Amino acid sequence: MDTDSGRDLISDLPQSIIESILIKVPLLDAVRTSILSRKWRYKWATITQLVFNDTCLIPCNDKSIVSCNLVNFITRCLFLHDGPIHKFELNTSYSPTSPDLDQWLLFLSRKDIKELIIDIGEDDWFRAPSCVFFCPKLTHLVLVRCELNPPPNFKGFLYLKHLSLQQVIIPPHDIEVLISSCPLLESLTLSYFDSLELTIRAPNLKYLNLEGEFKDIRLENTPCLVGISVAMYMTDDIAEHFEQSSGCNFDKFLGGVPCLERLIGHIYFTKYLSIGNEQGSFPVIYQNLKFIELYQVSFEDMKELLVVLRMIVSSPNLEELQISSSSITTTADIYDLDFWEKDWPADCTFSKLKIVHMTDFSGLPHEIAFIKFLLGHSPVLEQMIVAPTIYVTDKVVKMLIDLLTFRRASPLATVKFVQEPL
Amino acid sequence: MAVVKPEMKSYIWLQTADGSIQQVEEEVAMYCPMICREVLQTGMGSSKNYAISLPQRVNAAILGLILDYCRFHQVAGRSNKERKIFDEKFIRLDTKKLCELTSAADSLQLRPLVDLTSRALARMIEGKTPEEIRETFHLPDDLTEEEKLEPLRNMTDDPRIRLLNRLYARKRKELKEREKLKNVEAEEEQHVDERSVDDLLCFINGADEDSKCARAPKSKKKNRRRKEQAKSSSTNNETGNHNQESNCPTSSCLNGDVPSPSKPSELQDSASVKFSSKLDFDDGDIDEELDPAMKEEIDREVEDFARRLNSVWPERIEEILSLGQERRPLSVNGNGSLKRCTAGLDGR
Repeated sequence: MDTDSGRDLISDLPQSIIESILIKVPLLDAVRTSILSRKWRYKWATITQLVFNDTCLIPCNDKSIVSCNLVNFITRCLFLHDGPIHKFELNTSYSPTSPDLDQWLLFLSRKDIKELIIDIGEDDWFRAPSCVFFCPKLTHLVLVRCELNPPPNFKGFLYLKHLSLQQVIIPPHDIEVLISSCPLLESLTLSYFDSLELTIRAPNLKYLNLEGEFKDIRLENTPCLVGISVAMYMTDDIAEHFEQSSGCNFDKFLGGVPCLERLIGHIYFTKYLSIGNEQGSFPVIYQNLKFIELYQVSFEDMKELLVVLRMIVSSPNLEELQISSSSITTTADIYDLDFWEKDWPADCTFSKLKIVHMTDFSGLPHEIAFIKFLLGHSPVLEQMIVAPTIYVTDKVVKMLIDLLTFRRASPLATVKFVQEPL
Repeated sequence: MAVVKPEMKSYIWLQTADGSIQQVEEEVAMYCPMICREVLQTGMGSSKNYAISLPQRVNAAILGLILDYCRFHQVAGRSNKERKIFDEKFIRLDTKKLCELTSAADSLQLRPLVDLTSRALARMIEGKTPEEIRETFHLPDDLTEEEKLEPLRNMTDDPRIRLLNRLYARKRKELKEREKLKNVEAEEEQHVDERSVDDLLCFINGADEDSKCARAPKSKKKNRRRKEQAKSSSTNNETGNHNQESNCPTSSCLNGDVPSPSKPSELQDSASVKFSSKLDFDDGDIDEELDPAMKEEIDREVEDFARRLNSVWPERIEEILSLGQERRPLSVNGNGSLKRCTAGLDGR
């Protein structure tokens, strides 16, 4: 129509630029560019990233039709596609049937796939076909709610750097083998596994993210770990298991991570680490550990407290500490406050600690003693922020007064008492 | 050579494709990987005579823009927010400049700027109708209407597609006229191309000329024969033995794609028109030597089918009344419009 009224601005740009543009629009729009003009007919077909998500859905009242159309769309896109596909992401609450998914994965395994992300359905698990294990160039694998059964001749993903498995059903031994057979693995995320016992051997692993009910986690060969984030949930039988396990969990878990820079532990993490921990031994020093975040530490359990203290004392370069107290309060009135005077080495100094943020503070004696301890041993402390738990309102003023009277080693330290908004 | 100034600033000399040379502060120019490499590897750029020749896609005006970008971003101390604000303002350019900028940034390997401009261009594509996009980028609307309907179609429920269809229906007549005018010329050229390819094929295979190398659209009877050969049983394509509805969709031939007759039925399941004839699968048909001709015929059928499938009902009635002997295709698509069954017209 307007062929003459202005030169075509864009169709002659190199394909790399066109791809750069097309991967920034939803796939549906990218495919629609095929009707723009003759030159644009197949420009979309060589893009190397295909992301199918809810933007590909055409709304319709009938869910089965939406689902059917999504399946058709994906099949046809793949069929029409030309050239390698480096990234395939499928993120939808609909569940394509197994034959479709299997065929897509088979197709992708032949297309040099490098990044594969599959998060489908809301309640069903799909069974990953064996072709997933034979994508030789895979660098990035994210699977949610699937059953994985590595075939016996699976030799590992030689280039895999990022592995994330959430709610995946896989035999425990196989998952260890999977992890250790990926020599370049840098980032590992395991979520919502049940009752997992796991030994992790990953010589290049830098980031570890665990969430779920873990019975026993051992980091056996992970010298490069830089960031750890663990959220440990508990069921009754795991609790029993905790009592019976042998060996020091602290050592098993944090014994071999000298390069650690960030440590985040939620819920029962400190309790887990407290099993088998002996007071007073600090075999490993974490020279690079700058940031510690511990949620739901029970300040009534001396053992957990010891774990916290061990952690911070073993981290001479710690800069920021965030700690929250567990809201479980017992009625025990006997607190061994002498501990702070007698047993604990009084000459430790947190020479780099700048920020301490304590939440869910309920005024327990050990909490107060802990704050006092920190204030007294942190010469460069800048901020001590304390946020009381919402349940304790009447003691607030008294606590505040107490806090403010503690001796501060740092002239810059400010103590703030914050009422966190609900 | 530059006079040594008290600040000891050093400059790099750059020459753009149009011959103009300018000098740029060293740290600014070095922010571009391509320039950086040139300086380090070849030592060029130190004086006017040894100015670094920039790639052709970088003209003087665009170079100015790029240098502005580099000048801002190479300062290390800026916060992310500052950079973002600068970027947002920076890309407020007209489309032409934006495209040139993307191209230039790409040739200088300035990845962050390519990403920034790509995002801006992507925003101009996302969610827009084809007309709007063509308008923005001055794209020629050179696909025939039927060709447009061929590519991947997800749903005809999409209000945008429905709007498109209506627009197409209205413009059909315009197109017809225009195509007729163009046809004469276009066909000559395409004719030549076709013929030479066909001639070669015929020559190579020593087949008789007329049936295989002739341009199919001219002859209905031949088409019918070939059609029968080519059809797979499950296809829903009907004979569109229609008329001068469109010009020959020979673009695919020209582009070197070798479309083939409708392929596996799984594609045709839901019977919305897809891209049957434009798939690049031609293994089964090489030996038949009928490709060019069959292609066109199939193309047209598909297009016709597509067109009918998607045209608005009133227009269809018009058409049917005026053209008489067409078949109506089976149409089962998502918007619930069911089989517009044929009234048993042609004997096919």
